[in-house]
Amino acid sequence: MAPSQTSYAPTLGKLLKSLNSQPLEASIESLVYLLKRRQVKGDDIANAIAHMLLQVVAKSKWQSVDQLLAKVSNTGLRLAQSAPSEQVIGNVVRRVMGLIRDEASEDRNADDMADSVSDLSQLPTTPTMPSRPGPTPLRAATLPMSRSMFNLLCVSETVSSPGTGASTPMSQGASANMHALRSEVIDGIEEIMDEISQADDQIAGFADIQIHPGDYVLAYLPSPTVERFLVKAAAKRRFTVFLASGDRQEPGEVPHAALCKKLNGLGVNTISLASNGLMAYMPRVNKVVIGAKAVYANGGVSTESGCSIAARAAREYSKPVIVLSGVYKFCPADPSDDVTEFERGDSSAFVDYADGEAVDALEVENIVAEYLPPQYVDVYVTNL
Amino acid sequence: GRRPSIAVVKEDPRSSIPECFSHVPMAKRIQTSQAHKDVHPAVLAVGQQMATFALKDSIARLEATLLAFKKVIESYETPKGNSLSRHFVPHVLNPQIEYLTECRPMSFPMGNAIRFLKSQVNKFDIDTPEDEAKESLLEFIDIFINERITLAEVVISKNAAELIDEDGVVLTYGRHRLVEKTILRAKADGKNFAVSIIDDPYDQGGKELAKTLQQAGIRVFYSPNLGGLRAHLERASNVLLGTEAIFANGSLLAPAGTADVAMAASAANVKVVALCETINFDRERVSVDSLTYNEIDPERCSVESFRLMFDNTHSKYITGVITEFESGTDFAPAQAI
Repeated sequence: MAPSQTSYAPTLGKLLKSLNSQPLEASIESLVYLLKRRQVKGDDIANAIAHMLLQVVAKSKWQSVDQLLAKVSNTGLRLAQSAPSEQVIGNVVRRVMGLIRDEASEDRNADDMADSVSDLSQLPTTPTMPSRPGPTPLRAATLPMSRSMFNLLCVSETVSSPGTGASTPMSQGASANMHALRSEVIDGIEEIMDEISQADDQIAGFADIQIHPGDYVLAYLPSPTVERFLVKAAAKRRFTVFLASGDRQEPGEVPHAALCKKLNGLGVNTISLASNGLMAYMPRVNKVVIGAKAVYANGGVSTESGCSIAARAAREYSKPVIVLSGVYKFCPADPSDDVTEFERGDSSAFVDYADGEAVDALEVENIVAEYLPPQYVDVYVTNL
Repeated sequence: GRRPSIAVVKEDPRSSIPECFSHVPMAKRIQTSQAHKDVHPAVLAVGQQMATFALKDSIARLEATLLAFKKVIESYETPKGNSLSRHFVPHVLNPQIEYLTECRPMSFPMGNAIRFLKSQVNKFDIDTPEDEAKESLLEFIDIFINERITLAEVVISKNAAELIDEDGVVLTYGRHRLVEKTILRAKADGKNFAVSIIDDPYDQGGKELAKTLQQAGIRVFYSPNLGGLRAHLERASNVLLGTEAIFANGSLLAPAGTADVAMAASAANVKVVALCETINFDRERVSVDSLTYNEIDPERCSVESFRLMFDNTHSKYITGVITEFESGTDFAPAQAI
């Protein structure tokens, strides 16, 4: 959920609500800004991207599969560049593009079959391909009409393709076909959104297998996925949770108060560790649960900063490290040097600007995300 | 002190300590009126300062304790029919020690020094005149402070400063007196280098260190928490760590987080050098994990927020220890003892 802020500040929640009323470009722009300001974080990102791509498919004007792919990929690129460390953005964009290609090829195959049974006249080739050489091998050179109930009923929009040199008008049949594709792709994206929203629950389903009665479980900066995992386990098991976070809490402020309350209500003890180093507690800990931001092709994990401290300490004492990650976070990228780089965040929180001496003295580096090498991970729990 | 003063203890603060840490001791504030009547005012003051962490560092506590004991010795008069060598320790010194231990568990050098002091008293012949014995004890304490604390600090910082490479980057964790002295010494020797400070967000001593070093003209990189550790290690040429104690098996007792720093550094092939006065060595006890000898932070001892003050660093992560007697980077602390 988007953090509650003053009513003027843009939030993801507001953006999603306003998606239908706003022009597409404005929505994309505001999501780009939310991402750049890191106001959309963690597990909300995948959901936000899926919503946005749905809007792109539904609202933008396109006459061919390639045009659609180009639009999705351009939007995806803009979003990904606004938060380069979030591999999940690329994942969702790739999923949607794959979906479009699949649907397009299915359509064609279906039509091929239809051709064999019916003698529908083939439509002439429509050379309205966009200039961008799309990576798609499934270029629908011919766009035959398919005779579905949907196509018969829907009113085809006859929009001339804007901006393309060859202004061959789309025939009614092709346009109806695109219309069908549009609704199929929208359905597909909704399925992806469902998958994303259900992932946490499905992962939590494995909680009671991993967590045993009497365990001491260390959760470092628990993400919503980890929280659900722990709560689910708490329904069946009696164990103790150590909660650790990298940064100082003000006295009286209880970190993860809502989670503690939920767990305590289920009879599970929670201990909030006010410590950065975790070696001291590791002899007591039975296992470490970490939520992934993304999982790379080699098994390395992109995590919140400090997770590698927890994982290293766990390795020292041979305690298992469990990484929770929905399948949508598995990305094909290999962690080359540029992704193993750390993401640096706001440093103003650590040095008070009133303390001029300190502001001058320090070159503050606040690392907010880091890479956890695969050798520190024992188990990946996913939703499939 | 820097820490906000805490309210005087109402009920048993230990009741909120999680069961699994219930064996770990914790400092507590005792009202001066509740202290044993034999406790000397100077010791009372030291006890209060230790309980509130105004005196924090193990050596600072040692020095304050010894100076207070000097006052105790000065004001001591042997009762009639008794001898100093028989009466002083059980009837005068021990209540002081008990009180101090109640305020905060004794630091390892305090234990060592008190053992030395007691054996010094035992050496006196039963007929030694009181004045002579007192004089001798006072002198013993002065020499002890001079040799084991003041000179040790000078020698260690001098030796350690030689390890700082020209144009290198020294990484340290939090703020420790010896590390600070070493860095300033190297700067005064005309070396040019930078310092990376990894801070403990719950203590923030590193921030103070950063300011001091900046004033001395040293370039400082600062990471407010351990999250920046790996990034900082990439450019570090060596790591200097301060310690609270070194056990007979070579493990270090040091501020919580030190073990994580030492382990990450040795994984990154960066030299890890611990600085430690020999008075901090414990030759009898061994510690294999952080729950053997530790202390609970009395300000963070509830279910909502719990903190151990120290951790245990295995000797395999330490390249070398610098003490005032021997130094070198080629032997493990176990051999250095």
